[in-house]
Amino acid sequence: MTDDRSSDYVDADSEFGFSPVVSDNAGRPAKPAGRPRRGLRRRLTGVALLAATLGVVGGGYALIAPTSGAADTSSSGSDIAAGRQIYQTSCITCHGANLQGVEGRGPTLVGVGSASVYFQVSTGRMPAPAQGATEERKPSKFTEQQTRQLAAYVQSVGGGPQVPASGENLRADSSKLADGGQLFRLNCASCHGATGHGAPLSAGKVAPSLMKATDTQIYTAMLSGPENMPVFSDNQLTPDQKKEIVAYVKYLQDSKDPGGAGLARIGPVSEGLVIWSVGLGVLMVAILWIGAKS
Amino acid sequence: MSGTSPDHPKQNLSAEEVAKLSTEEAMIAGAETDDVFIVHRRERFPIAGTKAEKRAERIVAGVFLLGFLAAVGFIVVFCGAVPYQWKLPGQGSQDFRYFTPLLGALLGLALGAIGIGTVLWAKWLLPEEEVVQDRHDGPVDSAQQMLTAATLVQGFHDTGIARRSMLKTTLGLAGGALAVVPLVALVGAMIKKPNRGQGQSLFHTLWASGVAVVDSEGKRIGPDDILPGGLMTVFPGVPGGVAAGDSPTLLIRLRPGQSIKARKGQASFQWEDFVAYSKICTHAGCPASLYEQQTGRLLCPCHQSQFQVLEDAKPVFGPATRSLPKLPLGVEVVDGTQYFVAKGDFPEAVGPAFWERP
Repeated sequence: MTDDRSSDYVDADSEFGFSPVVSDNAGRPAKPAGRPRRGLRRRLTGVALLAATLGVVGGGYALIAPTSGAADTSSSGSDIAAGRQIYQTSCITCHGANLQGVEGRGPTLVGVGSASVYFQVSTGRMPAPAQGATEERKPSKFTEQQTRQLAAYVQSVGGGPQVPASGENLRADSSKLADGGQLFRLNCASCHGATGHGAPLSAGKVAPSLMKATDTQIYTAMLSGPENMPVFSDNQLTPDQKKEIVAYVKYLQDSKDPGGAGLARIGPVSEGLVIWSVGLGVLMVAILWIGAKS
Repeated sequence: MSGTSPDHPKQNLSAEEVAKLSTEEAMIAGAETDDVFIVHRRERFPIAGTKAEKRAERIVAGVFLLGFLAAVGFIVVFCGAVPYQWKLPGQGSQDFRYFTPLLGALLGLALGAIGIGTVLWAKWLLPEEEVVQDRHDGPVDSAQQMLTAATLVQGFHDTGIARRSMLKTTLGLAGGALAVVPLVALVGAMIKKPNRGQGQSLFHTLWASGVAVVDSEGKRIGPDDILPGGLMTVFPGVPGGVAAGDSPTLLIRLRPGQSIKARKGQASFQWEDFVAYSKICTHAGCPASLYEQQTGRLLCPCHQSQFQVLEDAKPVFGPATRSLPKLPLGVEVVDGTQYFVAKGDFPEAVGPAFWERP
């Protein structure tokens, strides 16, 4: 009612308990000022301070704390010793101090061999958060060198099928592509799909897509039979035959779709979806347009 | 603007009267004779040469031109402008993959352009018309019904079949016998055993006692060739064994600790931790070879039948109702190496049901 601004707002202690924004005589809304506004600013400052503290502490931890498996390998001198250090940092909780496995957490690693370790670790399936029937491919937590060191250590303890030496050519010549294709269709295509894009198994399990697998990963998977995949020994599929299969899978990865979009390469289902939704939709629109009053 | 309405139909016109009408009036009169009445008809552009008309024409012409270019493009692409021969990745340009999509797109564009251009022509340049068509609802009027009925009845009387009993009987015999002819084919096919006298081939495969177990390249397979948890497709080592459609067999080596609850009388079909089942699903005949070594399930990809190997390939899911037949396995030693042999054929027919084995 008067020009005195101080009467245009209600004290926080007043009957309202809050500071309503009221308009002064000129029709402009008056801002709440004084003690209520100081309280709001105090709250905001408190929140900002908390966020900053958390950020500093969290960021500092991320910078300072040691990364998994970052054992100082240079001081060990040998792959097996380096592998043991990695094992004791990252694997021992679930697989036991002597690789004997821990009930309910992880199976024994005695006899799985460096091939199995290489496959599981390089595809990121191990370290796994929990035991399960199917582990998904994830970015690997270890470098190639660390993976091989870990594999060498496990091999030294329990033996088993071995990962091929790094640098060895695991891909047969392209003249063997037809043989590789025949072997792939006989042994692999039923679970992994004729185009290597994966397919379902029973009870929600999945045989994964092969599109991201490297040569060594394909080779060691065949050799070690991870999870529900059968084991293909070197007598059953000779190393040369395995290399032919690797070459064929590489061809599946590299080949382009002749004749248009591959539509996830799963065949009639996706093609039918496109025909029924896009094709019929366009036809319906065209029909309505032709018949519309003009 | 001319036209008539359903309430004021024109009378039937003679040839001389029609000759006097203009073409447009004649069209309207002709439609009337079919009870189609053009109640409103107007040129869209009564004043020729306006900017709007020219614009409409130009757009339609442009669409037709697009069709022309697309058709020419099709011919050019087809005759070699784009490579079409498949090349291995890394051994040549992969541009061949554009050949078919380009052909399809250009042909579609050419056809679509002619169609769209024609529709636009009709929408923008043809005269506006509103047409009413008589619906001809309801039944035929009773005079017509009685005339038609009389025609039929008189025709029947004319044949005299009611009093010519010899003709009636013989026509009945001929027609009746002819009606039975298609029934013979139907019923006869259901009575006769379709496979009798053909050697019972559906009940036997090429497996027999003493037949060697070989892989897809004909090499003999022994216990050392498969590791625990492994699976291999094997064939009978006889001429034509690898190509025979009913003989592919899955040779499975169980993991340590896995054991099979065998069917009655078939416990001896297993050899140590090796067991062999027919690969052909007993539901509809697809190869049921998706093997999960840890759960012991064999999955068929076609209709998702699952067979539990640890219960002797009993179906535990999906449409299959019969277990996979088990091959009796034995081992013989040749030159100091152990090799697998079959100890007999499958004890039952492989694959899905058929007439003699429902």
